[in-house]
Amino acid sequence: MSGAGAIPRVERVDRYRWRVPRHGGMRTDGLIFADEGLMRDLEGDQAVRQVANVAHLPGIVGPSIAMPDIHWGYGFPIGGVAAFDEEEGVVSPGGVGYDINCGVRLLATSLGIGDVRPRLKELVDALYATIPSGVGASRSDLRLQRRELNQVLREGARWAVAQGYGREADLDAIEGNGTLPGADPDCVSERAKERGKNQLGTVGSGNHFVEVGYVAERFDEPAAERLGLGAGIVTVFIHSGSRGLGYQVCDDYLDTMLAAAEKYGIVLPDPQLCCAPIGSPEGRRYWGAMNAAANYAFANRQIMAHYARRALVRVFGEAGERTHLVYDVCHNIAKHETHDVGGEARRLCVHRKGATRAFPPGHPEITPRFRDLGQPVLIPGDMGRYSYVLLGTEGAFRETFGSSCHGAGRRLSRHKAKELARHRNVPKELEAQGILVRAATRATVDEEIPEAYKDVARVVDVVHAAGIGRKVAQIRPVGVIKG
Amino acid sequence: MLDAYPARFSLTPYRFIPHTADIAVELVAPDEAGLRAAGIDALRELLVGSSAVRALEERPIESGGRDAGERLVRFLAGALYLYDAERFVPARAGPAGVLGEPFDPTRHTAAREVKAVTYHDAAVHRDDQGGGLRATLVLDV
Repeated sequence: MSGAGAIPRVERVDRYRWRVPRHGGMRTDGLIFADEGLMRDLEGDQAVRQVANVAHLPGIVGPSIAMPDIHWGYGFPIGGVAAFDEEEGVVSPGGVGYDINCGVRLLATSLGIGDVRPRLKELVDALYATIPSGVGASRSDLRLQRRELNQVLREGARWAVAQGYGREADLDAIEGNGTLPGADPDCVSERAKERGKNQLGTVGSGNHFVEVGYVAERFDEPAAERLGLGAGIVTVFIHSGSRGLGYQVCDDYLDTMLAAAEKYGIVLPDPQLCCAPIGSPEGRRYWGAMNAAANYAFANRQIMAHYARRALVRVFGEAGERTHLVYDVCHNIAKHETHDVGGEARRLCVHRKGATRAFPPGHPEITPRFRDLGQPVLIPGDMGRYSYVLLGTEGAFRETFGSSCHGAGRRLSRHKAKELARHRNVPKELEAQGILVRAATRATVDEEIPEAYKDVARVVDVVHAAGIGRKVAQIRPVGVIKG
Repeated sequence: MLDAYPARFSLTPYRFIPHTADIAVELVAPDEAGLRAAGIDALRELLVGSSAVRALEERPIESGGRDAGERLVRFLAGALYLYDAERFVPARAGPAGVLGEPFDPTRHTAAREVKAVTYHDAAVHRDDQGGGLRATLVLDV
């Protein structure tokens, strides 16, 4: 096993691209999307070494890519994208992460910010009461028998809609329609099922949240209109994933993959990158479990969206009912996709860890409703500034296997953030800016202070300028529920 | 009851070190058993802060592995599972598992969700200064 190694040399390619030249055991270059300021933020950060580490894995196709929100993770960097040949490549739980299909969903109401402001406290309190958040959160009104849990794992958001949590039309606005194929509940351990059995419909803690906002700026008005993002319209973001079930799936398969890597003679620069050939028995079982956990996450966000609608109805009556799902994206996932590589269509297994699929207009995997626009890409920022809605582009498809960034990216450790917040009252500061915060603990709020994150506007500007996504709208927060 | 073990009197050496997104902890101990003890103390602090936790019963943990780093990660992952799935709060490492007690909201503060103990750079090294063992672990939070 390796300790923390030297940070590799980085060469500037152009204003928004930086290369980590192939060296040592790397099979390909690394490619980081960032401007000069964002690269400066990375100085001394282990994330660049992680980009290089990923480039060591067998069967990697194209560069080991990092998005402008890159930061130090474990195994892959957060903001990492890597594609592997289906025949010669590998699948790695460390390339997906513990929170399988951690993702974001955006709801748009029919209410304007002027309607909501006077009753914002009621709305935020209703959301806080309706959607359990925080450490160990569970729902007393949703206890699943093992047979039902297996259905969730197979069917994802479709199961939730069939149970009355939401509408059939919601499924059209979820990546993969909310049900990923290949899910096999038998590949999910009893421990994982036990860990996740009471957590469906809960947001969790850490950087997960429910956020009320409004459309503050529109960069592409026709596209924003198509997505239902009228000027000043109130929105709800939900950021969560597969909860304890997903964490345990990853944990279980890391053990499997450590043994598999040895069995298949795969040399690992970091044990967290352990992996197996995609077609191997170990690889296939992980695939079944990963997709099952991803479906759990889709169902989780679907149920929370249902309760968010209920909270809106409780406060605003029928007007709250007219809330539609804009889109729901995965941030941590691996998918089989077809990409053009050197003029040849190749089937690849694309790992995105802290990155969003950003397919271009016309791609057949985008739901017909948005096919002419490109895939919606949802980029939450920190709780004090803004978030963005983007669309996928041809540039992303050519250069990043159809991927874009996923958020602002942390720049301060949690310890440093708490130090900065120690003598402050962060909720009061945010309230003075018109943002109400509800959280289970003060520690969560302190660790998540806006300064702990990069300015997401800079991240998104790099994405837009580099052509791997295009800006549609900016959303500003007015109410935040933190776990 | 085996004994009582208030967390705040722990003297086992561990220290949290900076990590951008998650939590990194450095453990120093004379041997692998000591690393497990230090790891449990660090994990307990993350999960329930300074809440006093009694060592009322021992739960077994299977913690195989090809080397000391893997064994340590698997042991702590086992303790984390017991907390997350069964609400069993760790007090200290035992000979075959972890000693602790059921979570009691009147006495224990649920301080933080820890998703996992990762294998990222999870190596155990001989400590040049003290002659014991030193390990650095990253926990996903």
